[in-house]
Parts: sequence; C-alpha cells; structure tokens
Amino acid sequence: MKKIIFYLFFVIMAATLPYYAGGYLLHVSTTILIFMSLSLSWDMMLRTGQLSFGNAGFFGLGAYASLISVSNLDIHPVLSLFFAAVFAAGVALVVGFAVLRLRKIYFAITTLALALVFEVIVMNLSDLTGGSSGRVLPQAIFGGNSVLIYWLILFITIIVILISELLNKSKTHYAINSIRNDEITARSSGINVFKYLVFVFVFTSAIQGIIGGVYTQQYAFVMPESTFSLDFLLLPIAMALVGGIYTTMGPILGAIFLGLISEYLKLIMPYGHLFIYGLIIVIVILFLPEGIYKVARKKYRNRKSQEVKLDASSEGK
Amino acid sequence: MKINQKKTSWLFAILFFIVIIVGIWDASALIYGLQRGSLYALIALPLAMVLGIMDILNLAHGELLTVGLYASYVLFINFSIDPLISTLPVFIFLVILGGIIYFLTIKKVLGEGHLPQLLLTFGISIMLIELIKIYWTTRPRNVYRAYASSSITIGNFRIGSYEFLYVFLAFAVFLLLKLFLKKTRLGQAVYAVGQNPRGAEIVGINVDLVYLFIFCLSSGILGLTAGVMLPRVSIFPLTGNPFSLISFALVAMAGMGSINGILLAGITLGIAEAVIQAIPGYGGWSDLVFFGVLIAVIMAKNIQEA
Repeated sequence: MKKIIFYLFFVIMAATLPYYAGGYLLHVSTTILIFMSLSLSWDMMLRTGQLSFGNAGFFGLGAYASLISVSNLDIHPVLSLFFAAVFAAGVALVVGFAVLRLRKIYFAITTLALALVFEVIVMNLSDLTGGSSGRVLPQAIFGGNSVLIYWLILFITIIVILISELLNKSKTHYAINSIRNDEITARSSGINVFKYLVFVFVFTSAIQGIIGGVYTQQYAFVMPESTFSLDFLLLPIAMALVGGIYTTMGPILGAIFLGLISEYLKLIMPYGHLFIYGLIIVIVILFLPEGIYKVARKKYRNRKSQEVKLDASSEGK
Repeated sequence: MKINQKKTSWLFAILFFIVIIVGIWDASALIYGLQRGSLYALIALPLAMVLGIMDILNLAHGELLTVGLYASYVLFINFSIDPLISTLPVFIFLVILGGIIYFLTIKKVLGEGHLPQLLLTFGISIMLIELIKIYWTTRPRNVYRAYASSSITIGNFRIGSYEFLYVFLAFAVFLLLKLFLKKTRLGQAVYAVGQNPRGAEIVGINVDLVYLFIFCLSSGILGLTAGVMLPRVSIFPLTGNPFSLISFALVAMAGMGSINGILLAGITLGIAEAVIQAIPGYGGWSDLVFFGVLIAVIMAKNIQEA
C-alpha cells in the first residue's frame, strides 16, 4: 500500500510537471522519457538473454512509417503512432523469424547490422522517403504544443513501465529468466523458447517503433543520418547498464541520471559528447556490472540487516 | 584456430561459378571485385584471428582501422610522410594501442561470456569514434597522391592499377601468417591456445602472452592496411564502422577459424558487390550485399546443424 502511494505520488508529480516547470525543463523531461522507454525496451529484450543492437533500426522504421502515413495517407498523427508500432512489429516479426534462430554473437551482430540495412533501404527508396535529404512535415503533432506532446510521451512511457513490470512479475518472467540462464534446461522443461523470443522481440520493436513515431511527430522531420543515429542505440544501452539491467527500476533511474548529465554535457561539449557514454559503458562493464540500482539496494538491505542485528544483540544484553 | 580445408571447398565452387558468369558479362567488375575483395579479406583477417583464438568479437575492429587511417593522415599532413612509408610507424602505433586496450579492458572480460565482451567493445568503438570527432570533426578528409590514381587500360575499360597493391598485400599477409603459424614456436603456441586454452596452459604455454600477442598483431595489421588504403579513401570518423560488420560477414562465410576461407570469402563478396554496382540504377543497393550474404550463410549453416 505504501508503495502504491509512493508510485502514485511520482506519477502525479510527473503529470503536473508542465504547471510548475519551465519550458526548458519540460523539453528535457520529454527527451528523458523518450530515452527511458527505449532503454526499457532494450532491457526487456536483454532479459531473454539476447543482446540486441536493433533499437536504432526499429526506432527509425517507426519514425519513417509515422511520417509517411501522415503526409501520404493523411491520417491523424496520433493514429500514425499505431501505424508505426504495427509496421515496426511486422518487420520485427519477419526479421525475427530469421535472426532469432541465432544466438549470442551471431544475433548481436545481425541486429547491429539492421540499422545500417534499414538506412540503406530508406536511402534507396527516395520517392517515398526523400532519400538522403529526408522529409519534413507541415507541422508537428498537436500543432507543436509542447505540453500535450509531453503528456502523450508520459502516457506511453507509463504504459511501457507497466509492461516491463508486468513482464517481471507475471508467469512469463519465469520462462524468460530460464531461457536467459540456461536455454537447454528451459527447452527440456517444455518452454517454447522460439515463441517467447519472437514475442518479446516483436513487442519491444513495436515500442521502439512508437517512440520513433512520437519523436518524429515532435520534431516534424526525418533524415536517414539523424533518424538512424547511433544516439538511439547507445544512450538507451548506457542508461540501462548504469541503472542496472534486468530490472524496471534500473533503466528508469539510469535514464533520469544520464538524461540530466547529457543536457549538461551538450552545453559544455557540443562535439563528441557521446564519448562520455562510451566511457560510461566501459566503466560500468568493468567495475559496476550490476548497475547503481542493485548496488544501492544491496547496501540499503545490508545496513537494514545490520541494524536488525544490532537491535537483537542489544536486546540480548 | 582450426584450418579446415573442407569448409572452404563449397566457397571455391561458388566463387568459380560467379567468376565465369561475371567474366563473360563484365570483366571490369571482376577485377574491381578482386581488388575490393582483397581489401575486405585483409581487414577481416585480424577480426577472425581475435575471434578464433580469443573467442572475442571485437566490435571496435573497424574503429581501430579508422584510428590507423587518421594516424597515417596526421603523419602525412604534419610531417609529409608518404602514406605508404607511414605504414610502418602506424603499424607500431596500433600494436601499442592494441596492447593498451588489451591490458586496460579486454583482459578483464576474457571468458566472461559474450554479453560483457560485446558491450565493452561496443563502448570502446564509440569512444574511439567520438575522440576522433572531437579532434577532427566529421568533415571528410582526403590525401591526394598521384600514383594512387593511376590506371591502366585494357581493351575498352579502365581500371585502377594502385588497387592491385591490395591484392598483393592480402596474399603476402596471408602467406606470412600461415608460415608464421606453421613454422615458429609462437605460431604453434597460438594454434594450441586457439584449440584449447586450458590444455595449452597445462602444458606450459603462457596463454596471456599469446592473447596479448594476437590482439596486438591484429591491431597492427589494421595499421598496415590503413596506410595502404589512405590514398584511395576519404576518411571521416565513421569510415571504418561498416568494416566490423563486413568482416564478421566474411568470418561467418568462411566458417569460424578458417584462414583460407577468408580470402576466398572476401573476393567472393567483393565481386558480388561489384556486380550489383555495375547494374545501372541499382548501385546504391550494393551496400546490402554483405548482409544478404551473412543471412544466407547463417541460415544455410543453421539448416545443416538442424
């Protein structure tokens, strides 16, 4: 009960942000939420034990699908997000049937190639996508109203957080964990490994597609170079790693932490600020493989158990 | 690292088939493909060595090549050392850089599973790209050398003659490496470690030293390649990036641990790309050939195993 009130408090704080925060903070929060969803979606795939580098690819696909459906088919921008999700999910389903038969480095490197492959396809279908110069929408979603955009992204992020939490609490999570820990054992206990992998791959790609769509609708343009940029691959990974993988809380904390740092870094070093993210990934892998959330939780629990011990010993006297 | 002759035989067959068809249709694509493919093979070889012996897929592979290119570029601009001469200092520089990277990072994730290894090398690759961006920005840079743009005319088409250096260098490096592996004590130790690191350690081989040596050598070969490549490419921070993927595609084609196969796979891919490029209006799709090949090969192998 205490927890629910705690979470509700945060949701209300986040939802009412536009009333007490300035335009700049609102913009920063919007960006943080976008990366938070991406980070969670990457982490959800990782929970199955498969390291995917495909985020940037599906993000870009969603972005293009959303923009093209708005300007060519003239559908409502919010509706186009669903289109983006369905499109990304559809492509993920087709691609997944091939790449999800692969494991470890094979899977990782094939998904790493996806962003490049999608980018080349987009560049070559220039009639539809505008080629290398990209395309522009006449206006951003909700006429560019930043408060409404913020609420839309917040809404999507909360749903993503709920999905992630559901995935960690429901029966599915046993299947997913067992696939990660020992696939052969999982298979021999009757888990349809391939089915679960396709399922997770498709819906995480759908999330990435939606986020790509929102991002495009917010800025009202797509361009191969910036839409398939390394940022959308690197930052979510760094965020999840810093916060702690295999948890919901980890990517959330990581996104807030790194998102705030990122704004500061952009100000002091406009060129090459991603260097810090590479460094963060390397440092976390080498020295802090569990991420800050798990380490902090352990410290907290240790202290608590020590306190209990102290109490017990003082009572004994 | 096992050198398996059987695995490469089907590659030979495919290559032979393609060569005949293409040779009849467009001979210049054949020569262009041979040149380009040798370069691919030369770049893929170090990746295959690290993957085959250390069991680490180095995602920073392409970035080490980029660093080599920029090092060679700096030597040319500041000290006007010809790129071909600078191959030696760049080779030494990259050997040292490889050693530093190995000691600071790679050494600590050996045998820890693919997840930390991939993420670590991914992080390193980003760091290298961004460092280059900070110093040289994203502006493309070129080094002009008159000898590099020479060409020869055969019949009614012209082909670059400088690129035959790639072919020569690729065959030279492959031969030297094979000689080294067969004839020297260290080479035999590398073999042993590649086959069974624990067993090698038990019989008294310094496995750590072998790993260090392999990582430094593979990084050094990239430096060598960079100097030779420089006069013909325009360099920017992401120049080397696609080469990690292409190199992996070649390794997958050749089969893990096959050295012979890589040269063949490289040339096959090079010719396939040249053919797609030669089709009018569809040249832009040639960048996808390696991915198609990668998927096809992996699928084929999967079916075989199942």
